[in-house]
Amino acid sequence: MNERWHRWVDHTSEVQLQVAAESLGGLAAEAGQALGLLLLRGAAPEPSGPSRELAVDSVDREALMVDWLNEILFVAETELWVPVELEILESSPTHLRAQARGVPVEDPPVHVKAATFHGLRVEEEDGGLKAEVIFDV
Amino acid sequence: MGKNNQQDKAARPPRVIPSYPSERLNPNLVEVPATAREDMRVAARIWADEELWKQISRDRTLLQLVNVSTLPGITGTAQAMPDAHEGYGFPVGGVAAFRARDGIISPGGVGYDINCGVRLLASEIQADELGHARLEEIVHDLARAIPSGTGKGSHLQLKGQDLERVLAEGCSYLEERGLAMPDDLDTIEGRGSLPWADPSGVSERARQRGGSQLGSIGSGNHFVEVQRVDKVFDLHAAGVLGLRQGQLVILIHTGSRGLGHQVCTDWVRSMDAVMTRHGISLPDRELACAPFESPEGKKYFGAMCAAANFAFSNRQAITYAARQVFRRALKEDGDLRVIYDIAHNMAKLERHGDEDLLVHRKGATRAFGPSHPETPEAYKEVGQPVFIPGSMGTASYVLVGTDEGFNLSFGSTCHGAGRAMSRTAAKKVQKGHEVRKALEDRGIVVRCSSIGELAEEAPHAYKDVDQVVNVVHEAGLARKVARLVPLGVIKG
Repeated sequence: MNERWHRWVDHTSEVQLQVAAESLGGLAAEAGQALGLLLLRGAAPEPSGPSRELAVDSVDREALMVDWLNEILFVAETELWVPVELEILESSPTHLRAQARGVPVEDPPVHVKAATFHGLRVEEEDGGLKAEVIFDV
Repeated sequence: MGKNNQQDKAARPPRVIPSYPSERLNPNLVEVPATAREDMRVAARIWADEELWKQISRDRTLLQLVNVSTLPGITGTAQAMPDAHEGYGFPVGGVAAFRARDGIISPGGVGYDINCGVRLLASEIQADELGHARLEEIVHDLARAIPSGTGKGSHLQLKGQDLERVLAEGCSYLEERGLAMPDDLDTIEGRGSLPWADPSGVSERARQRGGSQLGSIGSGNHFVEVQRVDKVFDLHAAGVLGLRQGQLVILIHTGSRGLGHQVCTDWVRSMDAVMTRHGISLPDRELACAPFESPEGKKYFGAMCAAANFAFSNRQAITYAARQVFRRALKEDGDLRVIYDIAHNMAKLERHGDEDLLVHRKGATRAFGPSHPETPEAYKEVGQPVFIPGSMGTASYVLVGTDEGFNLSFGSTCHGAGRAMSRTAAKKVQKGHEVRKALEDRGIVVRCSSIGELAEEAPHAYKDVDQVVNVVHEAGLARKVARLVPLGVIKG
């Protein structure tokens, strides 16, 4: 698998993100950028201002994906800043460190409460990795 | 950035909706026996008539309820209310009781919006005393006084130890600060101040995320509505509650905002990490839990109660803002009385028979009858009030709990109409501006921070609230008192 992709899937009350990439780092970058786009209601502005580092540590690969996405939600809501470009600097099944560029927002246009463990999957597929994460919105 | 909507790259597998053997016990109740799946500890019960049962069976509500029935220490039956729908971990509309002595407590069983709930305020005036222009003015002023939207903070500035005291003392502290009237606390669930609250379990991140949001609505399905009492079903009960035909009332629907979301996020993560140590294995990781008697269980319960106190205080601060608007607009006729304030995402420690139980209600409302000690003195004749908000722009209901319901459903009832359609599907049916126009054509004044979200919360996205309420009324879980219709909507 060479190409990264994501899609949002309908759920009665929540939303599910399906994402695929060639590596764990690629998966985190694609998922994080997809969430950024969702928070900005699909508008993809050029990043502005200085970049910043985001990092998480977790118990395993699945929890890492949830913690990573929750970190982005936390930053968006507390600092009114949404990442739109992510470069993964370090990745292992229990650790991620990324350089992020983003945009300031007056108020995140879309509200997402949390990434959840429900129906969570991170699996090898087609020579790469695929993940599914459900968000409480 | 990769591409979205990649149908061609990887075919989406069909969603598997498992079916289970079930038996209809009466016109409003279906049971899935404890033998339906090997790991079930108790049977699962769904309060639904034929039509709602069909709707509930269409998604994974039953699978999620059956998963709940496997959790350690569960007692009686795992239950779903007639507004139930698929959620994450627990279904929304789920009720499950766990023995305090050997059962679990689950943050996912409470949900991210801890103590999301509803408060009803009664005005002194009849709705028809206000002309449309005056109504528009009041709704406009309410929208200015009560912030709405995702991260929108409050007009209240919490300083120093203020947040700590809100978490520890809830509405008692707001009363001390002059933000609550002396009688307000008598008609709030738990007096808006849960004694088990322990702010030390509320992380710095949770305080950062929501500490400045006291007195704000938030977004999603949260709202403040100006309503009229459209129909009274039970004249005596309505009289006891202080409601009359044609009266102007205010319904507030919101919760613990970002603070509660982060408390849940933090504790799902913490419990996920310690379950193996407690010998717990789960069919769904979002059901992450710990024994109630464990240090993690106790600490989460304290943090959840602190977040619940924040939510009660949030609705109290909104009440304060609404009172200022009404007094400015209506002078001596501008008083607003708290009829009741009730949670619908909470785990409560309650005595049922000879046992202390942790009753988890996720998208379900406590509905105690006249004889329960926690029913407020003023309502002992009729039972604890219950409010069932409809979808935006449709009717809401006032009910009262029954003594019979205490045994049938751990004293619980539904919490709303319940979603029937995804947000994307809802937006395909009607655009936000069309929803707004449809409401305005009916004379409803609309103020909202996001037109897009208006479409997501449109009436067609929800089940029929009349039908949901009729099921709980017929089943004896709660009794209909009055129906309310919206005149003005302020939506997050």
